[in-house]
Amino acid sequence: MIELAQVVQAPKIDYQGLAPLFSTIGGSLAVLMIGLFRGRFVQRTLVPAVAALALLVAMGMTIANWEAGDSRPIIEGALAIDTLALFMSMLFYVTGLATVALSLRSDVQREVGAGEYMALLLGAISGMVVLAGAENMVTLFVGFELLSIPLYVLSAGYVRRAHSLEAGLKYLVVGSVGSATLLYGLALLYGATGSTDFRAMAIAIGDTVAVTDPLLLTGVALAATGLAFKASVAPFHQWTPDVYEGAPTPITSFMAVATKVAAFAVTLRLFDYALSDAQVQWGPALAALATVTIVIGNAGAIAQSSLKRMLAWSGVAQAGYLLAGVVVGTQLGLQATAFYLAAYLFMNVAAFAVVIACERVSEHGDGIESLRDLGRASPLLAWPMTIAMLALAGFPATAGFIGKFYLIEAVVAGDYAWLGIVIVVGSMISLVYYLRVIAVMWMGRFEVELPSFPPRRVKAVAGRSPEADARAQPEVASVAILAAAATIFFGIVPSPLFDLVSDVGTSFGGLV
Amino acid sequence: MLKSYLPALVFLVLGVGVGVAFTFANSLLGPKRPSKVKSEPYESGLPSDVRKSFRFGVSFYLVAMLFILFDIEVVFLYPIAVRLEEVGTFALIETVVFIVLLAIAFVHVWRRGALEWK
Amino acid sequence: MDTSWYVVLSAFIFCIGAAGVMTRRSPLVVLLCLELMLNAGNLALIAFSRMLGNGEGQIFALIVVVVAACEVVIGLGIIVGMFRRRLPIDVDQMNELRG
Repeated sequence: MIELAQVVQAPKIDYQGLAPLFSTIGGSLAVLMIGLFRGRFVQRTLVPAVAALALLVAMGMTIANWEAGDSRPIIEGALAIDTLALFMSMLFYVTGLATVALSLRSDVQREVGAGEYMALLLGAISGMVVLAGAENMVTLFVGFELLSIPLYVLSAGYVRRAHSLEAGLKYLVVGSVGSATLLYGLALLYGATGSTDFRAMAIAIGDTVAVTDPLLLTGVALAATGLAFKASVAPFHQWTPDVYEGAPTPITSFMAVATKVAAFAVTLRLFDYALSDAQVQWGPALAALATVTIVIGNAGAIAQSSLKRMLAWSGVAQAGYLLAGVVVGTQLGLQATAFYLAAYLFMNVAAFAVVIACERVSEHGDGIESLRDLGRASPLLAWPMTIAMLALAGFPATAGFIGKFYLIEAVVAGDYAWLGIVIVVGSMISLVYYLRVIAVMWMGRFEVELPSFPPRRVKAVAGRSPEADARAQPEVASVAILAAAATIFFGIVPSPLFDLVSDVGTSFGGLV
Repeated sequence: MLKSYLPALVFLVLGVGVGVAFTFANSLLGPKRPSKVKSEPYESGLPSDVRKSFRFGVSFYLVAMLFILFDIEVVFLYPIAVRLEEVGTFALIETVVFIVLLAIAFVHVWRRGALEWK
Repeated sequence: MDTSWYVVLSAFIFCIGAAGVMTRRSPLVVLLCLELMLNAGNLALIAFSRMLGNGEGQIFALIVVVVAACEVVIGLGIIVGMFRRRLPIDVDQMNELRG
């Protein structure tokens, strides 16, 4: 028998800090119960409204909790809030709201049941919030799984279609391998440092545990691998295009944005806080991963004829840029990563919203062909897509440009100048596929050469009228326009976002 | 000294008493509609002579999965049971919240008809 | 007995599980191998918990048990769904999505 050393007491809980989580979890349970009623009004209007309300309430309470400085515990020894956690939570809620809007007319909601769909979505968001605030390995793992498991189900949301089930199973298997690897890494870190608490780990490393301790380094490597699976960092990215293509598109957009933000939130906390003293050991390894990711992601995207697959590969490349901000382990790197994550959210939500609008009415499904001549047919969709593509490529006057600039500044200041060059070269390669999309939309009368894959027969999901334009799906178009507007706004007036991320930079006291 | 065994004795008596009471209550109060299937040795939904080509029905997996989930959740009560005295009222509230969550899941599963054997 | 043997054993189990996930074709066996990987983590956690003399690893292991059950149930659910659609239950034949 093991005598537990510490005296067990009820933990101190800061209910105000915990309130956003209560809102999302309570909302999740509420929509699950409301969704049991079968009326059309309940399924189409009430359930999404309650889900959106829960997210808005959580958002308001997160803003009320905003306070710069070191982290405050909200459940003693398990969850903490600091500006990093709050900032990331805001990104999750914004993505969640966009996903609720994008799913309104999606038939996946009808197939899964609106209550279950929204409950799983809110469950995944709760998991992300837990993950962003975890200051203990146990909470980290719980948050990680709470975010993953609903997404496995949602990717298989079209339960009657082979490709969606296949995507769900693939995601489940790959995701679980990632979780198991992360778990084993965390177990080794626990063995090496003697604690599951991040603060105690940070104190132990370099003090009682040497930074070259083999157990510690193996643990770091395995934990990084596990997180790399979730953030789709190469060479653990192979699942990404398949799952993104097979999953229902609103869920793809949610996975592409929120999951990546969550994975980077926890990577920042684990590496730049708990393991920051071992930065000399993991820095070069992660820098190598970032380089490989940027190269593979950009190379993979060039050959894609499906928009969802192209965005998946481009997401891999973006993960490489983001990882560069983690590598340097400085306050500037933390700020740059947080800024780029926000910019990434707006660019991707805009792009995916347009993909959703077009795949619903086009006979080409999510193929690039579905955008042909969109500039003339519905400019309200073509402009957001254009802005999103330019921002992803890093054109000036977009948030993508400022974000990349900030990242490069951070890596150069952190003595990884060569990584900055890799980012620039990667962005140049990415112009090939981003500009192709723009060309297809605006130069419809000229033949734009596309990758020659055999055309996939995809049935249009709804509507099926080729004349359908932005007016037919006002909520999708407004999400696209709002996200694109934010991309431009923060590209021209970045100071509000700068102020927020400079608060985020103060989250970890020890960083230089 | 023997006094410390009193709870064990009470537990034993209660356990046996409740078991016996329910056994008889069933045969006294329950409706009786005997049928051929019911009088077979095993009546848990499967034919008792299993042939080589026999396959489990899909419903079987569904119920088995639900069973695993509700069964394994109880594991969370172990740490609370070990440290019940120190943590006190907080543990009670936590347990109630936990049971309510399970109840919501149960209501959902039930209303969506996952417990009906097809 | 020395804790390191438990850790070595858990490392072996983890590798067996990882190898199984990569080479097996039946999704059911893949799920079994995933369980092996997660339980290797559990064994390591409990061994370290005993070595260090604090209970954190045990609590962690209990939570992992529940999580592992959830993952397997979702996996089985998807497999049952594929079975009902009469899709090939073989991970090598899954080529609806170009890889």
